[in-house]
Amino acid sequence: MSGQIQTITMPKWGMEMTEGLVGDWYVAVGAEVSEGDDLVDVETSKIVNTVTATASGVLQRIIASPGDNLPVGAVLGVLAPAGTAEADIEAFVGQFGGAAEPAPAPAEVPAAAPAPAAAPVVQAVAEPAPEVTVAPAPAANGGLAALADGPDDSAVAASPVARRLAAHYGVNLNNITASGLHGRVSKADLESAVAAAGGSLLTPSPASGKAVAQDDSAVAATPVARRLAAEMGINLHDCRSSGSRGRVSKADVEARAALNGKASIQPAEKAESAPVPAFEEKPLSGMRKTIAARLQQSKQTAPHFRVQVDAQLDALMALRKALNDAHSEAKISVNDFIIKACASALVRVPEVNVQFDGEQVRYFADADIAVAVALDDGLITPIVRGANKKGLVAISNEVRDLATRAKLGRLQPEEFQGGTFSVSNLGMFGVKQFDAIINPPQCAILAVGAGEPRPVWRDGSWQAATVVSLSLSSDHRIIDGAVAARFMAALRGFLEEPGTMLG
Amino acid sequence: MAENFDLVVVGSGPGGYIAAVRASQLGFRTAIVERERLGGVCLNWGCIPTKALLRGAELLHQLKLGAQFGIQVENSSIDLARLVGHSRGVADKLSGGIAWLMRKHNVTVIEGNARVTGKCRLEVDTDKGTTTIDAPHIVLATGAHARALPGIPFDGELVWSAREAMTPKALPQKLLIIGAGAIGVEFASLYNDLGSEVTLVEALPRILPVEDADVSAFVDKAFRARGMTIHTGAKVEGVRPEGNGVSATVQLSGETRELQFDRVILAVGIGGNLEGLGLEALGVKLDRGFIATDEYCRTNVVGLYAIGDIAGPPWLAHKASHEAVICVEKIAGISGVKPLVKSNVPGCTYCRPQVASVGLTESAARENGRAIRVGRFDLAANGKALAIGEASGFVKTVFDASTGELLGAHMTGPEVTEQIQGFALARGMEATEAELKHAIFPHPTLSEAMHESVLDAWGEALNH
Repeated sequence: MSGQIQTITMPKWGMEMTEGLVGDWYVAVGAEVSEGDDLVDVETSKIVNTVTATASGVLQRIIASPGDNLPVGAVLGVLAPAGTAEADIEAFVGQFGGAAEPAPAPAEVPAAAPAPAAAPVVQAVAEPAPEVTVAPAPAANGGLAALADGPDDSAVAASPVARRLAAHYGVNLNNITASGLHGRVSKADLESAVAAAGGSLLTPSPASGKAVAQDDSAVAATPVARRLAAEMGINLHDCRSSGSRGRVSKADVEARAALNGKASIQPAEKAESAPVPAFEEKPLSGMRKTIAARLQQSKQTAPHFRVQVDAQLDALMALRKALNDAHSEAKISVNDFIIKACASALVRVPEVNVQFDGEQVRYFADADIAVAVALDDGLITPIVRGANKKGLVAISNEVRDLATRAKLGRLQPEEFQGGTFSVSNLGMFGVKQFDAIINPPQCAILAVGAGEPRPVWRDGSWQAATVVSLSLSSDHRIIDGAVAARFMAALRGFLEEPGTMLG
Repeated sequence: MAENFDLVVVGSGPGGYIAAVRASQLGFRTAIVERERLGGVCLNWGCIPTKALLRGAELLHQLKLGAQFGIQVENSSIDLARLVGHSRGVADKLSGGIAWLMRKHNVTVIEGNARVTGKCRLEVDTDKGTTTIDAPHIVLATGAHARALPGIPFDGELVWSAREAMTPKALPQKLLIIGAGAIGVEFASLYNDLGSEVTLVEALPRILPVEDADVSAFVDKAFRARGMTIHTGAKVEGVRPEGNGVSATVQLSGETRELQFDRVILAVGIGGNLEGLGLEALGVKLDRGFIATDEYCRTNVVGLYAIGDIAGPPWLAHKASHEAVICVEKIAGISGVKPLVKSNVPGCTYCRPQVASVGLTESAARENGRAIRVGRFDLAANGKALAIGEASGFVKTVFDASTGELLGAHMTGPEVTEQIQGFALARGMEATEAELKHAIFPHPTLSEAMHESVLDAWGEALNH
């Protein structure tokens, strides 16, 4: 795909993603990027993730600004190989602008750079759009295009730098005559081929972007100027020095600030009678917004009903201890047992192992169980896939890894999107029992309380047992009461006699 | 109620504190437990304070060489208390630096003695009582301690470990050093420069036994020329107090002799700091007295990791730091984390002449059975070495004759410890002789000898 002008679009991370909130860009217009480099953060339902470059090139346009909330497929920016003619990029931007916004005649478009506010949308499903994203760059790098084709070049001997440059220029290494050490393609080989093909070479970028902050502690300045500069984030090296004995004065710092477009520090307004506000206002984070929207939608559209059972865990606790004593490589929790038991119950009662998108029901053979993990601000539900096929040690270690990475924000979208059933456990907080809201398109969620000693009537007398209260919320559009009851009966059976899960 | 963290590090040496910083950078709620001073042995009682002492000894030596540069120094002498004071000052400063780093990275520092009481659970005895800490990931980085010999226990008075050896109150007149590995050899060099009469005893056939044989021989000769007594293939069978010093029973080529010394430094190796960690109860697997780990520093117990000295050789600070990063990044699920390649870890000994090496020795390379090429260049032919009056030492390189892989590099002489990273980089990049030949080494520098050594391996050396 390299060697061409292409769009950077709002990705679709999983089935449920329809839009994303654009965050900060990591690169500036004009900067070179390599395939895989971070380009821009996008906050979606549940996580902040980073859109990476799918090819190497130069970021030619930034179209989406931080704060824009854009649908999947919306154009965020334009990437093209270094040396692509400006006119071609304009033409490309114009062309895709025309495709996305049918109104203006093509002739009128090129002049105006697309306004960030009205980011054009390329619908993932829209008809003529797809070719836009793979449109070959016209003319200018036509010569380089001749170097682009060829068989897989991953085995061609090339220096590390040459290989990286080849990716940047979109050149297949099979097309380059090697003259480097050991017959490898060297940087020089690559550059001379690119130049011979009419491509323009990378030039050292003139101190673009941020200059490295220089230590200004040795610059002579008045004490006031120094403190003011520090407060305003101004480097004293950047100020003229018109003060006495050649020092930077307060006026010099303020002049620099004005140049930078910063207002000088105003005396703080006297907060004479303004009472200290008793609250703090914060906008919702993307994750909070998603939780709010999805759960509101779930509660409003899915008619929830709940089925509750208590399960005695003494046999499970004994087995857990035996397993943990036998397996130093795992620390199996009660929740791991519950995940395994749910998977077994879902196999036995497959009517609960479903997704519903409002029109069709999908029945799944395997139980992909989403496990709620609390984060500092919100929650996320990474998925143990095929839990019915995994042993407790494997489930336990997978949940541990997923939970660790969930807290670090390092889950991949496919690790938390989808799922056929959810488990939410608040037992560690001492909660006795609660009800959970279904996580659509799933149709059921299990809420797990704390296992605790309770009196149970057994063999004609009251005895102490470790008991947990379980509550299943089901979507009555799909799951009927009797089905939920059968599921819970199966679940209780697996928990109370955990050996039966082996069958 | 237990305190909860995402990751807890036990020990704050160059493995532990780096693990904590990296974990915090990646977003783990991180704590670090230290029972003594932040920084561990490396910067409190090892690498750094000994370098401070060695610098003083080296300066003293340099002053004696001043005459050839036209500098007349009468009666140069050293004030031991001030030298030790400088060394301790540097250690204090760096330990404070670690405290600052921990604050900066929001790492909770817990002062106390930790033990693992279960999977993902620690108990720490602090001033204020015992705290329980739960964390899904516990990284052990408790380091190692000097090992004693049967019949020769440390007493801190007559028989010193490295710790006493770097805080002497008076200079021993006659000093016995048992063990000629990196630590023993450094102290031998130090005390010889300070004016002690040093005897170095090594059980193996040569000093610096892990280094290339040529390097061992060179340092051995240099040490003898400085007036040290060296006994290799010799054993100290016992040490007993006698008067104000000791009498040592030494087995020398079949004959047993009684030798008298004022003090003894025991530097025969180290043992992992395992005791009291609760590892046995947890069934943590060990390997020759250290914690057994896989290539990503995981032990056999869930959520328990070990890095640095306690995870086995090579016992080097930079190996510990490197493992710290590998371990934590692997836990965080970062892609492309590569295991440590032990043969790429450089080793340095800061005696005079300095020793630095990476990769295979010549004999180890020959044992592998492949055809090799060996290059050598002596500093006697290096202009910079002559100019600074230290034209003694050499650079030896070992290549695979057919693939051109740099198998090993061995250097001895002035500032070679600052130069070995060039060869370490070459090994890390799997460079061949061709890349090294084509690299341009600046003139005049000591590092030109590195280049010439590579050329010599291919019979192309230009300056000898």
